[in-house]
Amino acid sequence: MNKKGLDEMQLQRKYRIGNSCFMLLLYLLLLDTGLYGFGFRWVGYPANIMIILTLCCGIYVVRLIAGGAYVGPYAKYEKPVLRTVLMVLCSVCAAGLIIVFFKNAGFSNPDQVNDMSAPILLISSITALIIAAVTGVIIRKQNKGEGE
Amino acid sequence: MGKNLRLKSARAAKDMSQKDVANAVGVTRQTINAIENGDYNPTVNLCIAICKALDKTLNDIFWEDDVNE
Repeated sequence: MNKKGLDEMQLQRKYRIGNSCFMLLLYLLLLDTGLYGFGFRWVGYPANIMIILTLCCGIYVVRLIAGGAYVGPYAKYEKPVLRTVLMVLCSVCAAGLIIVFFKNAGFSNPDQVNDMSAPILLISSITALIIAAVTGVIIRKQNKGEGE
Repeated sequence: MGKNLRLKSARAAKDMSQKDVANAVGVTRQTINAIENGDYNPTVNLCIAICKALDKTLNDIFWEDDVNE
């Protein structure tokens, strides 16, 4: 058997979930385009695509984890506390550096600053937090049924 | 697809849990559970691996006829 990656049932599930999420993405994009054609704009241009993509990716990840098709049979159960703390610190440093860089860079034309980037970032991080919370609940629930 | 009770009994006869069988054949416990419950139709390779782990033949565990259904 395959010692790396997912087993055959997990792969089958992953493909099925991927197909349905891809179709969902397609339908949502078509719906968005249709609404735009009728003159209804629910969010500005870059944000609507980002929100739809994030939503579909979130659904994909949550369904993968709920279906037990995210990690393979040989994945080690570890609690990466130190790694998480280091990643958070690195992210904060990177965010600080980017803020300093953009403040110093200066924009010749104020219109170049895209006002939608802040909501996109906010929505993305909120979605990521929701996904993390949901997956945490799912994993806890799955581990409860582990004892046979 | 009905439940595969022969797999369950063969596993019980060898005093193996679903986790033990899963580790022996290199799949997750959920996969073995799905096979036992008839929710998943395994490939021939996986069937052979399970049979080897349980010291049984394909006929013993997976062949369906009028008697074994």
